[in-house]
Order: sequence, then C-alpha cells, then structure tokens
Amino acid sequence: MDSFLAYLSDNQDELVFYARSHFLLVLYSVGIATVVSVALALVLHTNRLTPPSWSRSLRSSGQEGLLLAFSAALTVPSLALFGLLQPILGLGTQTAVVGLAIYGLYPVLRNTVAGLSSVDPAVLEAAKGVGMGPTRRMVRIQLPLAAPVIISGIRVAVLIMIGIAVVAAIISDVGFGELVDDGLKGLGTEGAFTDVMVGTFACLLVAAVFEIIFGIIQRFVTPRGIRV
Amino acid sequence: MSETAQSTSAQGSRDRTQRPMIALQNVSKTYPKQDSPAVTDLSFEVPEGAIVMLIGPSGCGKTTTLKMMNRLIEPTSGRIVLDGEDVTAVNPDRLRRRIGYVIQQVGLFPHLSIGDNIATVPKMLGWHRNRIAERVDELLHLVGLEPRDFRDRYPRQLSGGQQQRVGVARGLAADPPVMLMDEPFGAIDPITRERLQDEFLVVQQQIAKTICFVTHDLSEAVKLGDRIAIFGQGGRLEQYDTPAEVLTHPANDFVADFVGSGAAVRRLSLLELGRLELEEIVVSTGGAPADGHPVLAVDDAGRPARWLHLPGIAEQTPMVTVPMSGTVYDAVDVMLDGRAALVVVVDDDGAPRGALRWDALVGDLRPKRRRS
Repeated sequence: MDSFLAYLSDNQDELVFYARSHFLLVLYSVGIATVVSVALALVLHTNRLTPPSWSRSLRSSGQEGLLLAFSAALTVPSLALFGLLQPILGLGTQTAVVGLAIYGLYPVLRNTVAGLSSVDPAVLEAAKGVGMGPTRRMVRIQLPLAAPVIISGIRVAVLIMIGIAVVAAIISDVGFGELVDDGLKGLGTEGAFTDVMVGTFACLLVAAVFEIIFGIIQRFVTPRGIRV
Repeated sequence: MSETAQSTSAQGSRDRTQRPMIALQNVSKTYPKQDSPAVTDLSFEVPEGAIVMLIGPSGCGKTTTLKMMNRLIEPTSGRIVLDGEDVTAVNPDRLRRRIGYVIQQVGLFPHLSIGDNIATVPKMLGWHRNRIAERVDELLHLVGLEPRDFRDRYPRQLSGGQQQRVGVARGLAADPPVMLMDEPFGAIDPITRERLQDEFLVVQQQIAKTICFVTHDLSEAVKLGDRIAIFGQGGRLEQYDTPAEVLTHPANDFVADFVGSGAAVRRLSLLELGRLELEEIVVSTGGAPADGHPVLAVDDAGRPARWLHLPGIAEQTPMVTVPMSGTVYDAVDVMLDGRAALVVVVDDDGAPRGALRWDALVGDLRPKRRRS
C-alpha cells in the first residue's frame, strides 16, 4: 500500500496529464460524434430536409441504411481501426479523435432517431394544426421531448469511448492508454503491473466524472412536464 | 309533430346571419395511389357563427374535409374561401394560426405547462407578455378551470376531460373566427362528454365562433349542430340541413338509413320545453278543484309537493319534475323513470310553470307564440 501511494506521488504530474488528456480526448470525440449523428438524424427525420421527391420508403431505408453502416463500424476491432486510419490521418491525436468518434456515431444516431420518433403523433399534429412550421416544430417540440433519450445515447457513447481510448495510445500519446501500454510492454519488470492497474482504474475515474456531468445535464434538459 | 319540431327548434334562430364564413367550392381530394376520391366535388357554405356538424360512416371523408379547411390536407382541386378570401394558396402556417384546431387525442405539448400550451399561438403572433397572461387566465376561466390551480400544471397531471378543456382553450387562444374540431369529445367517458357538450354550447353562446365539428355520434350532431352535413361514401354530401330537417325529411335512402329508426325519439331532444305550450296547472293551498286543470300542492319554498287533483287520470300518479331548460326528451325520460303519466315543468327556482302529459307526446305538441 505504501508503495502504491509512493507510486502515485512519484508520478503525480504524469497521472494528472494522462487524466486531462484522456478526458479531453473522449470529450472532443463524443462532441464530434454527437454533432454528426444528430445532424444526420435531423436530416433523415425531417421531411423538409430530405427532398420531398424521395418516397417515404426511401427516407426510412436511408435511415436504416445509415444505422446499419454505423453499427457495422462499431464492430470493427479498435486496434484494426486505428491501424487503418493511421495511413490516412497519420500518427497523432487527430487520428485518435476521429477513430473514437466513429465508435460514438451509432449509439447517438440510434437514440436520436428513437427519441424523435417516440414523440406522440397527436402532439405533432396539434403543433402543425396551430401553425408551427417544420423548424419550429423540431426546435420547440420534438427536440425537447427527445432530449433525454438523446442524452442517454451520448452517455453510452462516452462509456464505449473511455475504454477504446486506451487502445488509441498506439497511434497517439494521450490518455491512460500510454500508461497501460508501457505497463504491458514491460510486464515482469518492477512497477509494470502497477502501471496497468492504475491505468485501468483511472479509466473508471474518468467514466465517473462523465457520469456525474451527464447526470446533471440529463436532469437539466429533461423538461419538468415529462419528468417521472 | 314534424312541423312543430321545425318551428320550435332553436336552430333556425341561431344562424340568422347568412354570410358564409367558410365556403367550399367544388373541392375534391384524391389521395396518391388511390383510384377513388376521398372527397368528390364538394360544395357547401358554413354561415358565420354557426356550428356545422360533419357526420357520416367511417371513411366517408369528413375528417379529410375538415383538414382541407386548414390545409393539413391539400385539396386536389377546388377552392376553399375563408371569410371572403381564397385560402387555397396562402401560407398554410399563417392560415392555421387564424383557425382554431382541436383534435380527439388532444395533443397537448407534454413538456409545456398548461399556460404555455394555451399561449402557443399568441406567442407565435408576437403578443405582449401581459396580454398573453391575461388571455390565458381568461380562457381557463371560460373552460371552467381555475387559472391559479391549473396555469402552472403539466398535461399529464390532468384528467382526459380536463386535457380536452385545455385543448379547446388552446384552439381559442388567439380568438380565431373559425374553429375546426375533429371528434373532440370522442375519447371521453359518456358522463364527462355530456357535460363538456353542455358547457360547449354555453361557451359558444358567449364566443359565437363559426365551428366545423366532425363526429360519428348522431346524438352529438343533433345536440350541438345548427346544421348537419351528412357524408356518404366517396365524400359525397348526401344532405346538409338543420338537425330537425335531417331527422324529419331525410333527403334520400342513405340518410334515412343513417339516421335510422330512432329518428323520432332523437327529434324529441330538439323540442325545448321552454318553447312549448304547456298544460296549465293550478297551485292550490287546499281549496276545491278548479275547472278541469290539474291541481298541485306546493311546499314552503314553492316547489311541487304532490298532486291534489288530476282530471282524466284515474290512478294516483307520482310527482315528477323536469327543468324548463330541458327538452321533451328529458321529460320523457323522467316520466318513464318515475312511471308517471305527466310531469311538472319547473323553472330555475323550482316553481311549477306547467305540465306535460304523456298523451300529448302522441297528440299535439303546440309551440308557444314567439314573444320576440
């Protein structure tokens, strides 16, 4: 125990750096994934944004096709994905961010689509009937009602990313992946196992911080009228 | 009886202005990928301040017709004129802000308070905050909900009946001249529905909107409508007339069939007791029977207590009363219920104003001479 505490104090600066970079890596990635997925969901959900010449079946198959593609992306092994991205984007943080964002697309898109279509059709008809245009209906009615579900999707994306961010250490030098990576390479030597363990538990800590933040956001964006 | 029914109905007097508020001219609607039209060459006019009930079997195009009026559904051909203006080509969102719209499923916005729900259209129209707040309270009062208790509550905290009251208030918020109502009381339990219908008529007397009202319930159509539009298959208008006329003179076999065998009984609900020549009765404090009129004893408050003398009726008959504001239908109900051969019609204070005999139903129901 003493040696563990000594480890922490010896490596304090390094650990704080890893924590900060791990947190920011996930934050940027989930931000990109959210913007892309929510935008795509809106495009595919709002009739005004998809050309009216598209038939209803084409619109819904567009949505299904996108979900399928994003879910396929989720099944690509992370080690392989970073390996595939590296020749295109090079080594570095940008590759890590893009790779992680790809894993966040599916849960956010899935939940945004589910949230938007869970809005009671009668509510939408009433909104239309009182003279709300498509944009106003989306901003004032559908998005607020879908917000809790969308936030849940973002939370899932964050949890997935925190784990995968460790693997991103192979193409960048940010996050606790560095620590785990070092530890794994030097297994058997002194302190190597502690590196792996600390790296793993530190990920839990980052996850906890995100969960607290999102807990607050979720409470904030859930309208009082639909809170249970 | 048939002539009496027409002349005594309140309907004739209520749409005295004949200026059309809504006019449909040769409107047709064929849905994409369907061979037969949902609405075929429909033309009719809704007079200002009238309640027009659109009724017919399911799939007859009554809801389609209603939704074409605020262009939730675009007509395939024809013109729709609102208050003298052809609205077939105006901006649909702006048009809808000028037309109240109430639907069966209510569709209140669950994330907004009752006050904000009602304020939806005034906010879009850019009303001042104070004016909106005043209007919201005024409307909550109008639909019988205490503003202080309901303004800040949320839709899920309200019963179905209360939600629909809010739905109606939201439709009325910007004081539109026209209201479109799509089976607004259809999903509400019968007792509450009856009460909402009664209140609706009271409210309409204050606000005098032009209302198109879709229903599949003939009793509702007869009760609420100044006019009834009966739709047949393919959205054809089979008859468009006052309830009394529809019930007494169905235009064709389809309408006769639709109105059904209960027409004569339904017609009774169009006969208001206040407009009938009632049998005279004598209120006695114990004196001798007076020249052939029924004699009645009253209690201290002047309410009927028991019969003292009933000429022409052999057995003792129980004392039953019906309020003057009711209809012959109510009187029949009371008589059947109480097994009484006649019923005393009482005014708001409970004082007897006359009697109605069972025999008179199959005989001669005479309307009063119009006072005004």
